[in-house]
Amino acid sequence: MKDVRIGIVLFLLLFMSEISAQKFELGKVSLEELQEKLHPIDSSAAAAIVYKAGKTIFKYDYEKGFYALHECQIRIKIYKKEGLSWANFEVPYYVGYESMSDDVVKFSNAVTYNLEGTEIVKTKLNSEGSFKKNVNEYWNEASITMPNVKVGSVIEFKYILKSENVVTFPAFNMQYSIPVNYCEYKTEIPEFYIYKPVATGFVKVNTEQKYEDAFQGYDNQYRNSSTLKYKQISSIHTAESIPALKEENYIDNVRNYTSSIKYELERTRFPDQKVKDYSITWEGVAKTIFDNKDFGQALDADIDLVTDLRFILEAQHKTDLSQLEKLDVIFKFVQQKMNWNNHYGYYVDKGIKKAYVEKTGNTAEINFILIRMLKLAGISVNPVLLSTIEHGVPVFPNRTIFNYVIAGVEIDGKQILLDATNKQTTPNVMPLNTLNRFGRLIRKDGTSEEVNLMPKTTLNENTVLYVSVDEHGKIAGKCRIQKSDYPAFSFRENNKGFNKESYLEKLENSLNGIQISDYKIENVANLDKPIIESFTFVTGNHCEIIGGKMFINPKLFFTNSRNPFVKEERQMPIYFGYPKQKKYQITINIPEGYLVESVPKPIKIATGENVGLFIFNILPEGKIIQISFTEEINASLVSSDFYEVLKDFFQQMIDKQNEKIVLIKV
Amino acid sequence: MKIRILLLTVFVGITFSLKAQKNEYSILLISDSLKVNANAVVRLNQIDIVISSQRNMTISTKRVITVLNEKGLSAIDAVENYNKKTTVKDIEAYVYDGLGNEVRKIKRKDFKDQSAVGSSTLFSDSRYVYLDYTPTQYPFTVVYESKLETSNTAFIPQWYPVSNFFVSVEKSVLNVDCPVNLGFKKMEFNFENFNIQKINDTPTQLSYTASNILAQKQEDYSPVFSFVLPKVMMALELFHLEDVDGSAKTWKEFGQWYSDEILSGTTVLSEETKAKMRTLVGEEKDPIIKAKLIYNYVQQKSRYVSIQVGIGGWKPMYANDVDRLGYGDCKALTNYTKALLEAVGVPSYNTILYGDSYKKDIESEFVSMQGNHMILAIPNGNKYTWLECTSQDDPFGYQGTFTDDRNVLVIKPEGGEIVRTKLYEDRDNTQLSSGTYSLSKEGDLLGEITIISEGSQYNQKAMLENLQPTEKEAHYKKYWSNISNLKINKTAFSNDKENVRLTERTEISAVNYGNISGGKMMFALNAYNQYTGTVKRIRNRKNPFEIQRGFTDVDEITIVLPHEFAIEFLPNNYELKSKFGAYKTEFIKKDNGSILYKRSLFINKGMYSNTEYDEYRVFIEQVSRNDNAKTILTKI
Repeated sequence: MKDVRIGIVLFLLLFMSEISAQKFELGKVSLEELQEKLHPIDSSAAAAIVYKAGKTIFKYDYEKGFYALHECQIRIKIYKKEGLSWANFEVPYYVGYESMSDDVVKFSNAVTYNLEGTEIVKTKLNSEGSFKKNVNEYWNEASITMPNVKVGSVIEFKYILKSENVVTFPAFNMQYSIPVNYCEYKTEIPEFYIYKPVATGFVKVNTEQKYEDAFQGYDNQYRNSSTLKYKQISSIHTAESIPALKEENYIDNVRNYTSSIKYELERTRFPDQKVKDYSITWEGVAKTIFDNKDFGQALDADIDLVTDLRFILEAQHKTDLSQLEKLDVIFKFVQQKMNWNNHYGYYVDKGIKKAYVEKTGNTAEINFILIRMLKLAGISVNPVLLSTIEHGVPVFPNRTIFNYVIAGVEIDGKQILLDATNKQTTPNVMPLNTLNRFGRLIRKDGTSEEVNLMPKTTLNENTVLYVSVDEHGKIAGKCRIQKSDYPAFSFRENNKGFNKESYLEKLENSLNGIQISDYKIENVANLDKPIIESFTFVTGNHCEIIGGKMFINPKLFFTNSRNPFVKEERQMPIYFGYPKQKKYQITINIPEGYLVESVPKPIKIATGENVGLFIFNILPEGKIIQISFTEEINASLVSSDFYEVLKDFFQQMIDKQNEKIVLIKV
Repeated sequence: MKIRILLLTVFVGITFSLKAQKNEYSILLISDSLKVNANAVVRLNQIDIVISSQRNMTISTKRVITVLNEKGLSAIDAVENYNKKTTVKDIEAYVYDGLGNEVRKIKRKDFKDQSAVGSSTLFSDSRYVYLDYTPTQYPFTVVYESKLETSNTAFIPQWYPVSNFFVSVEKSVLNVDCPVNLGFKKMEFNFENFNIQKINDTPTQLSYTASNILAQKQEDYSPVFSFVLPKVMMALELFHLEDVDGSAKTWKEFGQWYSDEILSGTTVLSEETKAKMRTLVGEEKDPIIKAKLIYNYVQQKSRYVSIQVGIGGWKPMYANDVDRLGYGDCKALTNYTKALLEAVGVPSYNTILYGDSYKKDIESEFVSMQGNHMILAIPNGNKYTWLECTSQDDPFGYQGTFTDDRNVLVIKPEGGEIVRTKLYEDRDNTQLSSGTYSLSKEGDLLGEITIISEGSQYNQKAMLENLQPTEKEAHYKKYWSNISNLKINKTAFSNDKENVRLTERTEISAVNYGNISGGKMMFALNAYNQYTGTVKRIRNRKNPFEIQRGFTDVDEITIVLPHEFAIEFLPNNYELKSKFGAYKTEFIKKDNGSILYKRSLFINKGMYSNTEYDEYRVFIEQVSRNDNAKTILTKI
C-alpha cells in the first residue's frame, strides 16, 4: 500500500515473435481518413495521432565513430477547432555538449491534406513555416507550423534528429493528450552497443527482436569509400489504441505514468577493446557517477575547511559536543553561509573551493561542502542521489534519472537526511520537490543502498481555540496554531519577506472573514522550534440564529466543506507529499439563557492500512462544550485502488464537520 | 547568535581591505519611513534619454537598489531587450553589502543572454540579456548601469517613478534631451499626492526628480498601476520605426502614415480567391450580411499563430500569404479579413487597441504608438461592428471581455480616428437560471436546471461547450462546490451565436444535500447560485476600487420537499439596495407543498473611492450570508 513503487508500471520489454507491424507510409492519406468526423473510440478527442513511427539507426563516420539518427514520422487527424494547435509541432534538441557536435533536427515531407468536395488537396510546408530558436545555452528548438490546417485536415511530417550522444536516446513517447491509434518504434543497434529498453505507463507494448547482418558505407581517411560489416540487433516495439492522457489533481508528475520507451546504454563491446560498463545495476550507476571527476574528485577537492570548522565548534564553548550537536552546528553554518544559485545537479560546476569562497553554488557544491565538513568532524556521511519530482521517478537503474544530491548521515544507527541548499530546511525536513520515493546512497568503494525519502509520521499541526458565543451569535475568542516540521517548513517557504498586514488580510479571508487582532508569531527564524501563531478574533459569521435556536459548526471557521476528490474514478496514484496529522482542541462557552439542545455524535473513522484516521469527540458540560478533532493521512503516496475509500473518507470527515451544534433559548 | 556576529566581523574585516567601499549605499542611511512595507528600496533610478536625431536614441539607466529580502529581488530588474534595431551598448552591475562594501562586480559577459520567445510564440527575433545573481546576504545593494541604442524612436519608454508594489523610492530621476525640430512632447499622469519636481521643461529638455515615495501596498480590486501611480508618456512628432520615417501631429496624420507606410500593399489577393469570395456572398447586397459570411469563412479557414517578425511586429503578413497558409497573428488575420471584404465591396478598417480583460484605453489625448492588439472595424450605420479575427468561435461582432468598452484607434486611409468599442451594459450581462430540484426523505437532491448567459457573461461560458467531458465535470463541480457529493448526470448546450446566448441544461444529483439530525432536515434553499466570491478586509485601504463589469443574475427555482417532512422554518424574504447594486430573495410556499425561490443580484460597474471599499465588502457579505440562509424541515 505505502510502498514507494506504487503506481509505477514499468517493465523490461518482453520479447515475442510474430507481431505484425502495420504498414504505414507518408503520403498515402485516404479519403476515409479525411471524411472521418469523430474519433471512432474517443468521440471527445479534438485530434488524434493516426500513427507515429519512430526509427533509430546508427551511422558511421571515420573520425567521429558511430552516431545516431532518430527518425520520426507522424500523421495527425484534426477533428475539432481545439485540435488546431496540433498543427504546430516542436522538437527540442541539445546543443550543450562539451566534446560532441550539437544535435541537429531536420523536418521534411510535411504536408497538409484537405478534402475539397471529393478531391484531396495537398498543401506542402515550405521554409516559411519552419523555425529554429535558441532556448538557452543547452537547448535549441526546431518547430513547424503547418499550412492551411482546418477542422477535418490530416497533417503529416517527418523529422530526423541527428545526435552523437548515444548514451541515452530521446524518450519515445507513445501517449499524448489526444488518442494515438498506432505507434511503433524500431531500432537497429550495431552489436558493439548493448542497450536496455525500458517502457513506462499503463499501455501494453509488444516487442520483437532479430539478430541480423548489417553493413554500411563510409569515407575512410583517404576519402575512399569503404564498407563496414557487422551484426546488428533490430527491434520493433508496437502499441495500439492508446487512450488520451487525462490530467488529475494530487499527482506527483504525470510523466511517471505516461507511456514511453527509453533506451539506456548498458555497455559497449568494441572489437579489440575492453567491455565498457555504462549502467546495469544501481552499483554500476553509483560507480559511474562516483568515477566522474565532477563527483568523486570534486567531493575530495583540496579545500581548507578545518579552520572554519574548528572556529564554529569552539564557538559553542562546550568540550564534549555529541555527534548530533556537531551535526546541528555544521548544518546551520553551511546553510547560512552558502546560497543556492537555483541550479540542480549532482556534478559540481565551478567546484567546491570556488563555491565556498563565493558563498554560492549549485546543489552538488553546497551539499558536498556540507559532506566534507561533517566528515572532518568525524560524522559518518555519504552523498545520496535523488531525482526531484519534476524530473521523474528513479525506478530502474539508469544514469540520467538522478538530478540532485543531498547528504545522508548515520548516527547511532539512525539515518538523517540533510539538504543545505534551502534556507528553511532542518535535518530530515527537505524541500518538497525532493520527496520523490527513494534515493540512492553511494559510498566511495562503489557500493550503494536505497534510501526511502518519504517522511515518517509525526503530529505536525495543532490548533487550540477558546471561544465564547454571546446572545447575538457573535463569537469571540483566542486561537493558537502550532506547526512543526513540514507544515512549518511550508509556512516559512510561503511567507518569505513576511508582511504582517498583507498576511493577516489573507489569513482573515481564508478563515471565512473573521477579524483578527493581537496577532503574534514566534520562531519564524528559529528553525529548531515550531511556528506558533496566536491571536484573538471576533466573528459574526459563524453562528446562525434560526427560529430562536443557534446553529454552530463544531469546527467553527476551520470547517472544511469541499472534498478535494470529486472525480468519479482515477487511474493514477494519489500524492500527498508528506503524511499530515492535524489536531484541533476547541472549547466553546455558550451564552447566558441558552442550553445545549443537541450536538453531533462522536465518531472514529479509520481506513484500511492506517492510511486515514479521523476522530471527533464532543462533550457538553453545562455552559461549556469541549470538542476535539484528529485528522490524519499517514501516507505520502496512495495507490489508485484506494481512491474510492479515500474519497469516501474525506466525504465523511466533511459531513461530520458540517453537522451543527444546536443551542436553544430557555 | 554569538557565532554569527563573530563571523560577520571576520568577513567584513577581510573585504574591507580588499575592495572599495561606498558609504552612500549603506543601509543605515535609509530613512525608517521608506522601510515600511518595503521589500526593496530604490536609492536612485536615473534614466537619461538622449535623442540625437529622428533615427537615433540612447537610453542610459543607472539604478541603485537596496534589496531588503527575497521578495525584493524583482525590483533590481536588470534586464534589457534587444533586437535587430536595438543594441545593448553597455551593461554591468556592482553588488555591495549592507554597509556599502563592494562584494562583486558583474561584467557584461557574466550576464545571461536568452531568446525572448515565450512558449506561446512560435517565432520572434527579439532577445534579452539579464543579470543572474545569487545573493549571499540580505540586505544588499545592486548598482546597475546600462546603455541602449535604438533607431526606433517611435517608442520612447514611459517613465514610472514607482514601478513596483512593496518598493519605496528614495530618488528617481528622468532627463531627456532632444533636438528642437523633432516635435518632442509629453503628458503627465497622477502626479498629485506624490513628491515629484519638474526641474526642466523646454522644447529640447525635460527633467523630473521624484523623491521619498513610500512603498505602495497591493490591494484587491484596485485599478491597474498606470491609473493610480505617476507616469509620463513621451513621443516625437517626427519618429522612426524599423527603417520607416514617420510624422504625425494628430491621430488623423498618424493613421494616414500607418495606412500609407505600413499597411499599403498588404491586402493583395489572387483573382481566384476574390472570385471565390464573390461566389460566397452571391447576390447579397447588405454589407453586414456579406461581412458575416466572410467572417465565418475566415473562422473556418484560419488559425492564430504568434509570429513576431517584420516591422517590430507592426507590419502584417501579406493577405495572400495568409490565404495560402491559413494562419497568422492578430494583424495578419485582421488584414486578411479586410482584404476578403474588399473583394466583395465591403469597406473595413484595421483597429489598434490594448487587448486585455482589464479595460485599457489608447490614450486619446496623446498621439503616439500605442496598443498591443488589432481587430477589424466595419462601418455599420453611424457605428462600427467589431471583428475579433483571431477567434474561430466568437459570434460575429461579439467583443467579449478582451476588446469591449475602451478607446481604440481606427486606421482609415484618410487618417486615424479614436473610437470607443461596444459597452456591454450591466443589465445586459445576464445569467438567467430556472429549474427545479426535489429532496428525498433521506435528504438526497435530484434536480435539473437551465442557465442562459448573455452579454459579457456569455464570454465566460462560451468555451464550456468545447471542453472535454472531464473538464466539463470539473467546471460544474467547481461552480456548484456548495453541493457535496455532486454528480453531473447530463449536460447539453446550445450556442446561439446569432443572439450571442449560451444555454446550458444540466441534470444533477447529490446524496445528503439535506443534513438530517434529530428528525430535522437542514439545508440552504439556494442550491444553484450561491455567491462565492469573497472580499477581503483591507486595513487602511489607500487605492480606489473598481468593478470593471457589472452583471445581472436572476434565478427562479422550484423546490419539491419530501412528503414525510413539514416546514419548520423558512428564511424571510430579503431585499438589499446600495450604490453597488441590488439583491432580492423571495420564498413562496405553493399549494402543492413546494417552494418557489426567487433571487436576483445586480452589480453596478464603477470606480469607487477607497473609503467605499468596506461598504462593498459588507454588501457582498450580506449577499453571501443570505444566499446560504438555511431552511429547517421537521419529520411529520
